[in-house]
Amino acid sequence: MINDFNYLKPGTLKEALAMYAEHEDCKVICGGQSLLIVMRQGMISPEYMLDIKHVKELDYIKFDAKDGLRIGATTTHRTIEKSDVIKKNYPVMVSMENKLASIQVRNWGTIGGNLAHADSAGDPGPVLIALKANIKIGNANGERTVALEDFFVDYFETVMDHELVLEVHIPAPEPKSGAAYQKFNLLDSDMGIVAAAAYVALNDSGICKDVRVVLGNAGSTPIRVKRIEELLIGKVYDENLFAEAGSIASVDCEPVADIHGSEEHRRHILGVLTKRMLKKAWEQAKG
Amino acid sequence: MEKRLLTLNVNGQDYELYINPKTLLVEAIRDHIGLTGTKRGCDTVSCGACTVMINGMAVKSCSVLAMQAEGMEITTVEGLEVNGELAPIQKAFIDNGSYQCGFCAPGMIMSAQALLNENKNPTEWEIKEGIEGNICRCTGYNSIVRAIDGAAKGKYTEAKS
Amino acid sequence: MNKYTVINPHSKFTVLNTHVHNIDGVAKVTGRAEYTFDIKLPGMLYGKILRSPHPHAKILNIDYSRAMELPGVYGVVTGKDTLGVKQGIWRRYKDLCDEQILPVDKVRYIGEPVAAVAAITEEIAEKALDYIDVEYEVLQGVYEPLDAIKKDAPEIHEGFERNINVTRHIEWGEVEEAFDEAEYVREDWFKCGGQAHMCMETRAAVSSYTPEKKMTIYSSNQSAYYMQALMAGVLGMREGDIRILAQYVGGGFGGKFELDGAIFCSAILSMKLFRPVKIIYTREEDFIATKRRTPMFYYVRTGVKKDGTFCAREAKVFTNGGAYTGMGATALYLTGFFHSFPYRWKGYRYDGYRVYTNTLPSTSMRGFGAPQAMWCSEQQIEWIAADLGLDPIEMRRKNSHHEGYEVPGQATIASCGIDQCYDEIKSWIASKGELPANRSIGLSACGFMSGGIFNWFDTPYSFSSAVVTINQDGTVELHVGAQEIGQGSNTTMAIICAEALGVKVGDIKVHSGDTDHCPADLGAWGSRQTLMTGNAVKMAAESAKKQLLEFAYAQSGLNIVYDLDIKDGWVHAIARPERGEEFVQLVRKALRGKDGQRIIGRGYYTPHRKGMISPAYSYMLQGVEVEVDEETGKITLVDSMTAHDCGQPINHLGLIGQLEGAFSMAAGYGYLEYMPYEDGKLMNPNLVDYKMIRATEMPPANIAEIDTYEPEGPYGAKEAGEGLTNPTAAAIGNALFHRFGIQMKECPVRPEMILNALKEKKEAQEK
Repeated sequence: MINDFNYLKPGTLKEALAMYAEHEDCKVICGGQSLLIVMRQGMISPEYMLDIKHVKELDYIKFDAKDGLRIGATTTHRTIEKSDVIKKNYPVMVSMENKLASIQVRNWGTIGGNLAHADSAGDPGPVLIALKANIKIGNANGERTVALEDFFVDYFETVMDHELVLEVHIPAPEPKSGAAYQKFNLLDSDMGIVAAAAYVALNDSGICKDVRVVLGNAGSTPIRVKRIEELLIGKVYDENLFAEAGSIASVDCEPVADIHGSEEHRRHILGVLTKRMLKKAWEQAKG
Repeated sequence: MEKRLLTLNVNGQDYELYINPKTLLVEAIRDHIGLTGTKRGCDTVSCGACTVMINGMAVKSCSVLAMQAEGMEITTVEGLEVNGELAPIQKAFIDNGSYQCGFCAPGMIMSAQALLNENKNPTEWEIKEGIEGNICRCTGYNSIVRAIDGAAKGKYTEAKS
Repeated sequence: MNKYTVINPHSKFTVLNTHVHNIDGVAKVTGRAEYTFDIKLPGMLYGKILRSPHPHAKILNIDYSRAMELPGVYGVVTGKDTLGVKQGIWRRYKDLCDEQILPVDKVRYIGEPVAAVAAITEEIAEKALDYIDVEYEVLQGVYEPLDAIKKDAPEIHEGFERNINVTRHIEWGEVEEAFDEAEYVREDWFKCGGQAHMCMETRAAVSSYTPEKKMTIYSSNQSAYYMQALMAGVLGMREGDIRILAQYVGGGFGGKFELDGAIFCSAILSMKLFRPVKIIYTREEDFIATKRRTPMFYYVRTGVKKDGTFCAREAKVFTNGGAYTGMGATALYLTGFFHSFPYRWKGYRYDGYRVYTNTLPSTSMRGFGAPQAMWCSEQQIEWIAADLGLDPIEMRRKNSHHEGYEVPGQATIASCGIDQCYDEIKSWIASKGELPANRSIGLSACGFMSGGIFNWFDTPYSFSSAVVTINQDGTVELHVGAQEIGQGSNTTMAIICAEALGVKVGDIKVHSGDTDHCPADLGAWGSRQTLMTGNAVKMAAESAKKQLLEFAYAQSGLNIVYDLDIKDGWVHAIARPERGEEFVQLVRKALRGKDGQRIIGRGYYTPHRKGMISPAYSYMLQGVEVEVDEETGKITLVDSMTAHDCGQPINHLGLIGQLEGAFSMAAGYGYLEYMPYEDGKLMNPNLVDYKMIRATEMPPANIAEIDTYEPEGPYGAKEAGEGLTNPTAAAIGNALFHRFGIQMKECPVRPEMILNALKEKKEAQEK
């Protein structure tokens, strides 16, 4: 049962930040697709709810060839999924959103809310970190930008200190780069039992100059596997290397067993997904 | 806790409510306005029985605060028929036997209608994706897919069919 | 006004097996259908149930004084507010009536109701639960049947030694001799999981007890009559003073024809408070506290000749009965019986033991023990065929039932189309050609009952009844006790009535789901209604037609050798169909002829001398094409074909819906709907972690109908819908066997299990 709260409905971002500053025991709601579930379970009972669903200033998608992509926090998953500019420049974002929950959830849930919720099984986190995203957060006192890989601290915990998510920024796509993401699940719309995102950038000779592999639901936060970067940078396409990367991924993580799979099984799947996503991203980068 | 005045526009009609702000949209629709076509089947935003349309988009009304839906056009299953004439998607469901116990049907039909509003010519996979958020325990979904496909192809647009 | 249409002399039927729309359609697709979930009565209170956190404990004391102090709380009930009746659905066997629902002395599973509270809002009722103080003496619990039968296991029910709740024995032929004849013997152990019914409408009831000492209950259930009779027993009331209403029911699947906490607690509260009380289970409660499909441990030993002739089979089964009997006694028998289907065994022996444990009670669920039976039997048969190098379809075919076969001491098979089923599936497989490397096809045969013959409910009523009343305008009131739960029984009965009486389906109004106005009927379970209620409806409609035609004959001047009939609203001489009159004209004449009294036809049916199980059996062979990702173990269902004999199909759209729906549930049992318990606690009581198949996972479910004629069924009809839940899990298992050579002993099959099996196989080969 959801406990009673006082409801705040700001009209503008400025009002929202001011209201948020005024109330310490206050939770922000926008899409609420995750928040309402945990509130119903009684896990969260704030005195105030700040509803920013109608704060239009945070609902935007902007792309610039140099600056990259900026998505406002209250942009819905569905808007991202259907964005032509995102499909053209960051197709992995569209394919990731397409498999996120269901259309109903995507119609109302937002990217900012998803990241703020910090579910380690969440889909956007690993993909955005692989794309080297930054997140802009702020409150009435000001804003700051944090690399997304530093944003998540623990299960359902971020670095935010009474701040709101304002914007996600993905740097401009590098030439000859590719990205891929896949989660392992039993049902098409489920969150991943485990997941892997890969990003590869090649130089003109086809040598890897940049690579990231980020694992989802493999620990308390998305895990960027740095040893894979050491392995692959400076190398050419080699399926044996991808398999080796998979082995590294299966070790450099802390998946927790539950009824959907043992730890051993999760490690194995992470290895398979890593291998596959590296290959896919690399092939995309080759063009 | 301060109760709030709220005007909800449901099926073209404004309703004035005075509610606890934690009231979910599905509760406002079912208990306060009295439209019981929209159902509930879970507590984890999983089953889709509560699906309505908000500004033409399919949304699960169990995970929307009623307060958030103010100023938006909400459509429930009761709002699809016009002067006793069923919407093509409803006729399609009947013609294809796309429901059995019927409990998931209102939510399923709203998802279907929202899909058709957005996509006039969906592929089979797009149809399945369109209802992916709706669980049906009875039909096995294929008859629902056939109904949506038939409705998309204009099979049910004639009046009095 | 019915226009005369040429009756196609080649068409046997006017209405049967045509594209008839479900008659509840408009109500269901427009949101008008009112389920128990939707019912609101004046002055209604909301009830919530306090549940035991312990799997096994004595109830020492319940103090709800603090709850009573909460504003808005009207009352609390515990076992002390009840008559303490130990009830059960097997009324004929008192020792199997073991469940008080609100127990007085002790709790036996996590989630068992302990108290119930009624308040002015649902929220207050839920809050009040925290203010009820229960003192328990925790007892040792036992959770697995093979542990519960040990000598030192805690006793769950007094007087049940080794916690063995029910035993069943089926035997025919000289079993050991038959094994001696066998040239090849194989034995295997299997483990079959449970499954949740997962009805879209959770358990729901609104009970209203009034100062006239009458009780009205809106209840989401599969048998209004069972609810009425069982509630009368537990409340100490006359059946006639209880009205059960269930016009629209959001699914049942075998879980809703026993009393549950919703109907029981709401009624007890209402009796105490003289206010209507509504109890709706949350989805979590539905998972934790409504009985599930029976988990089973199967030992199977099968002996065959080298040419594939079946000689002998022996099966020993331990089922996890959970805390109470429910319908478990029937499931225990049927699993052992259908484990022999659809084959002739020279010697067959089955010993089943239903064991009490401190877990959620298990009961009937669509398939009723047969999905478990086929998981074991159909896989082992496939393995035997592979061991002997025989064609699995031809090996099945040569041993199959046929029309006229007697299952010794158990059943006579009066209609059987399994042979054509084999041909259809062979064609389907051939049409597929060579499959991609990551796909394979698995098969499973099975058969199923069309209703049971055994009167364990101990009813004095006919198993099914129907009344047909004809109004002056030609519209027809059809009163049945058959319960519409989504399977389309209202429509099926209307179709049978329309065919038998000679009117249009649209002229018939079906009354069901109201014990005040409908005749008693055992209800919707065991796939009984099409055959049993269908027979009653046919009899009633034919009686009404006969009475009507008396007036037509009287005025016709026909020679005695000529017959009249009614088809599609046209009364005519069969030899000269163009001469006749409109149905409604005859009705008016009959009305005047009977002093203004409407024609009423009555029908009823109870199976007599139809063996030990059922009057009729459906048959099928199913093929499922499965894709497996070898590196991850993930299963994707690609295609399926079911060749199916349900005698004469009645409700065409209904039949397709039943096939596709049964497939989705059966597939879930095979590879998705894992329901793990730890120390008596369900680990995934929600729809995030309990995996339900969705549109994106559902493959085509093609059907090849094999029409036969079942003499016991209305127009030759048999069941369709429950039997179809039986083969799919085994077919998936067999697909895995064909691709990888792995033998999956446990269902549901999950990716990790496949990978482990592949690893074990590789390691065994390397040795």
